[in-house]
Amino acid sequence: MAKVLIVEDDKDLNQAYQMILKRDGHEVFAAHNGKEALKEAQAHTPQLILLDLLMPIMDGLEFLKKYDLAKQKDVKVLIFTNMENSPEVNEAYKLGAHRCIIKSWTAPQNLSHVVREALQDNPKAASVKGA
Amino acid sequence: MNDDAIINDPLSLSPDTTLQSAVEAYAQAEALFNSIGDGAIATDEFGHITKINHVALDLLGYKESDALGRWFPRVIVAFEEGGEKLDMIDRGFTQAFLTGKPVTQKVWYRRKDDTLMPVSSTISPLVLSGRPIGAIAIFRDISREYEIDRMKSDFISLASHQLRTPLSAIKTYSHMLLDGFMGPISPTQKKSLKTIVSASNRMNELISTLLNVSRIESGNVIVSPKNVNLNHLADEIVRELHLAIKTKHINLHVHAPKKPVIIQADNLITKEILINLLSNAVKYSPDGGDVTITVQPRKSTVIISVSDTGLGIPKASQPQIFTKFYRASNVVRRETTGTGLGLYLVKGLIDALGGKIWFESIENHGSTFYVRLPRTYTAKKTNTTNGLTSLDKHNSSSRKL
Repeated sequence: MAKVLIVEDDKDLNQAYQMILKRDGHEVFAAHNGKEALKEAQAHTPQLILLDLLMPIMDGLEFLKKYDLAKQKDVKVLIFTNMENSPEVNEAYKLGAHRCIIKSWTAPQNLSHVVREALQDNPKAASVKGA
Repeated sequence: MNDDAIINDPLSLSPDTTLQSAVEAYAQAEALFNSIGDGAIATDEFGHITKINHVALDLLGYKESDALGRWFPRVIVAFEEGGEKLDMIDRGFTQAFLTGKPVTQKVWYRRKDDTLMPVSSTISPLVLSGRPIGAIAIFRDISREYEIDRMKSDFISLASHQLRTPLSAIKTYSHMLLDGFMGPISPTQKKSLKTIVSASNRMNELISTLLNVSRIESGNVIVSPKNVNLNHLADEIVRELHLAIKTKHINLHVHAPKKPVIIQADNLITKEILINLLSNAVKYSPDGGDVTITVQPRKSTVIISVSDTGLGIPKASQPQIFTKFYRASNVVRRETTGTGLGLYLVKGLIDALGGKIWFESIENHGSTFYVRLPRTYTAKKTNTTNGLTSLDKHNSSSRKL
């Protein structure tokens, strides 16, 4: 499976996503804002980041700018937000986000599915899976 | 001949009395013009400013000498919301002279210091014996209304996002309980959890509607044009509404050409439009009614129609059916749920895609809604619902309307 970093300021949701993805066999790391996420991403080099946009201290867009996806290898960012079809989502796509998922429409099985799908064409994740 | 008759017949007045009346009438008109609380400008038949009141001067930052005798469109420069100068042909001034009728517009006027001010202006032509002899422009600064409207939309947008966060947790944890994350559950617990999920889905739909309305009104609908396969989309929305269709035993018919009909539009927006129309058709149909979706490709457009054999819209309610919060009289009597935002939203979204919507309906026999969408999406200047125009220049692939 893969290393997944969850960046979500809502503690309940963060906890729920951790439980779901751990059950799917992923190695899961958690952060509650962009600043924590930068540290976690550097320490664990995840293959997938679930990123909320509206967060205190450092929001998702600021994280994307600082993390600089273009310089990272084999990592995908899934935006997890409730701001569907907003200028912020458009900006996140410009900064390299892979896909945007609306949190309030997402059931656990959908979460597992979008994570699996995003990891499918990630060579690094595939090698981890194969190993 | 009594005295009254003499006074009421101007032809019977002596020249001195006629002149006196004209002077008085002029003084009255002058006083009226100057005491109007809105900006007022009068022009002659060539559009040269003959009079401008102090409110107009204050609002525009001009002195009387800056305006008097000058051509109205040169002094009063009008812009669209995005900052683009309004074409001469689109100006209320031109339209009033061309049509001979008063024209009301919401535009932005440029002040002397080059700043822009949103105004609501009405320009009325003065016509004497069928010949235009001038025009009167009355305008009002609507900065405050505009700001309040923007704040209201921002508030709805923020509140809706904030409502969705706890809702996401309710939904996720309910699903986790249903999926047995926290151990096995009894059939009764399962039923209760399904009710929580279904209620949170309803709440989510309401929030989505509010968010979409606030986006349309604040000019924040982002159109991302892509190829949309209407055959696939029709299948997708039928699948999504499968449960409602089955519960009401609706006979659903889909008429679409075998060859996929592909248009350039925004997939999500097109889906939202069709889902709203289909769910209305199902909702207002009797048990076992017929609902038909038809996709008809034309040369440069596609017409999608959704018809039902349901309640229909009473004739008296028809002119207001796309109005915000409006619900047809026969619907209000039967259904307590519903916001009156669905068709208002649909119309706003169709406008954003450059399309048109119309309908035919007979009460107690059913309705057919027609949507015409262009095959190729063209980013265009569009009126937002507050009447101000909006033009986004920041993004070439996506467009804010």
